[in-house]
Amino acid sequence: MKRFLCILLIIATVLFLSACQGNFGSVNLKDPVQIPEDGVISKSTVAQIKNENTIAVFVGKSGDLRYEWTVFGSDIAQAREINLGVQISKTAEGNIQVTLRQVHAFGFSATLAIYLDEQWDAQSATAYAGNNAFTAVSITGSECTILNLNLDGTVDTFVIHPDPIPQDQTPTHSTEPSVPEASVDSTTAPTKPKEETVPTTAPTEPETETVPMTVATEPEETTEPTKPKETQGKDQYLTDPIPEGKPKPVEPEDQDVDKGKTYTCTFSIECSTILNNLDQLDPDKLEKVPSGGTILAKTTVSFYEGESVFNVLQRVCKEKGIHLESSWTPIYNSAYIEGIHNLYEFDCGALSGWMYRVNGWYPNYGCSRYQLQDGDVVEWRYTCDLGNDVGGKNLF
Amino acid sequence: MSMVDRFSKYHPLVNFLYFTLVIGFSMALNHPLAQGISLICACLYAVQAEGKKAVLFTLKWCLPIMLLTAFMNPAFSHEGITILMYFPTGNPLTLESILYGLSAGVMIATVMLWFLNFNRVITSDKFIYLFGRIIPAMSLVLSMTLRFIPKFKAQMDSVVDAQRSIGRDISQGSLWHRTKIAITVLSIMVTWALENAIETADSMKSRGYGLKGRTAFSIYRFDDRDKMALLYLGFCGFYLLAGMIVTAFGFRYFPSIRYIGLNSVTLSFQFVYLILCLMPVVLNYLEERKWKAIHSKM
Repeated sequence: MKRFLCILLIIATVLFLSACQGNFGSVNLKDPVQIPEDGVISKSTVAQIKNENTIAVFVGKSGDLRYEWTVFGSDIAQAREINLGVQISKTAEGNIQVTLRQVHAFGFSATLAIYLDEQWDAQSATAYAGNNAFTAVSITGSECTILNLNLDGTVDTFVIHPDPIPQDQTPTHSTEPSVPEASVDSTTAPTKPKEETVPTTAPTEPETETVPMTVATEPEETTEPTKPKETQGKDQYLTDPIPEGKPKPVEPEDQDVDKGKTYTCTFSIECSTILNNLDQLDPDKLEKVPSGGTILAKTTVSFYEGESVFNVLQRVCKEKGIHLESSWTPIYNSAYIEGIHNLYEFDCGALSGWMYRVNGWYPNYGCSRYQLQDGDVVEWRYTCDLGNDVGGKNLF
Repeated sequence: MSMVDRFSKYHPLVNFLYFTLVIGFSMALNHPLAQGISLICACLYAVQAEGKKAVLFTLKWCLPIMLLTAFMNPAFSHEGITILMYFPTGNPLTLESILYGLSAGVMIATVMLWFLNFNRVITSDKFIYLFGRIIPAMSLVLSMTLRFIPKFKAQMDSVVDAQRSIGRDISQGSLWHRTKIAITVLSIMVTWALENAIETADSMKSRGYGLKGRTAFSIYRFDDRDKMALLYLGFCGFYLLAGMIVTAFGFRYFPSIRYIGLNSVTLSFQFVYLILCLMPVVLNYLEERKWKAIHSKM
């Protein structure tokens, strides 16, 4: 009896010891690593990132500004000593001047996130080396702006300028009904009757007095009287009033796709907010985080007239082999994007999920109801804070 | 070729601990090898103890449920990196979701089979013996509920017969007529069920069920063989728990399939799981052989 228990104990001890195999001498890469005073990261640490094929986060401070490097093990071709020290200062115009201590190439691309102490009134930014723009900067952060950019170490001094917010969005959209009229052709014939049928259907079916269709014909006059009629200003699919000058939703059942007319728009899919919040990410999803946070770089895609953002997203993902899961949500009369590239809603905290921005505006309705126009810029962005960290603050 | 289930003659504590361990691990481990071990052992034990009936149960219930889960999962879950094709909705069909569905199906079938064995071995008197002292009310309610359906069925047969003998035959007459009789029978049954439950409870109370110091007659003895069996189960349970802590059974389906490779250490855990699940089958086989050996000498 006693001997039996002894054997049991020995087996248990051996088991636990074998489980805790000594990892002595190496760095724990699960938690963020503090960048040393001189900024030097040893070759062995870089090799460890490569061998463990993990994502390592290095944090440092320059003055009052915090910065974070995200290094992907999969990007490292050959391990060598690198210097992650960064000097950050503000220029007189309020731009950010960055100087890397690294003077030669890293040998791979790493993501630098700069945590500012203020909020930038910008949707994106660009890094300039001298006078030429060399990389785009993605802006995230809820309270204070975080600048995210990918660097390979070749450019060691640059200035980040916020991009001007496009003010001329209103004209591009107010001209949209006139676009088919301007290019008067035999092909525009089907679109014109569609708009004219609206008034005839409205009286017969009371539910079809939808805001989008009536508004599409006479924008100024009808928005005011319809508002008080509806409960709390929402339409039948619980959408709050659409801001002045923004395109109104078009119900998927009313969208007729005209395959005779092809337009182009740009699509991009990115998740740099995940890199800012790697500690909250479901550990199983770590391998699906793309290096640099870009799933689909800005791509020009063509679409047929009348197609919605959802139609085009689905086609683009299919063509590029990007995983996409959506579910149809009847109360919002739109598809809901649950996950792209196997990164799902709630994977990076309880407030995370996918959002889309068209021409710098986050529509307050679903992507199946957004009808694309020629030249639209569509960005799909992952948020970890209900949209606050990607510039969609006023949505919720 | 069903034979006497020797394992069910062991002390109820041994039986109960065995099923707790086996069912618990069947639900907790999702490594395909461990799942296969558990499924095969549950099948073997059921067939050994019940013969044809168990085969029928497996084919009629477990197999369809297994296949249903395997087909249903990819229809609702589209996670996974290996895209095989696209559904009309535009969502992908992924290899990972199919395999996960299969794994879930095997798990449900395995647990069903283990409960088939559980119900045969842990009779209500064993259950009351084990838990009557610790949680008297709960174990009485449990054993009454478990007993309720077969008892209800038997009583309904006799009520239907009695009604037929006074001219209320539910198998004849117009639909309206038959419905009326059926409702009468149902009303009788509900009244009987309520009354029966109160009677049982009263009867148990008047016999002092659950009172302090009350003893219950039982024919269970804790022999040396039970001691050995308990030690064996304790060892297996401890070893497997340790294996779970060190993730020796680690297997992940989403977003891509990742698992702990099989080496001598992880194989040892699988082996211990095998000998744990096989315990009743082996015991029954050995005892049967011994019994036959003694028999032939006479």
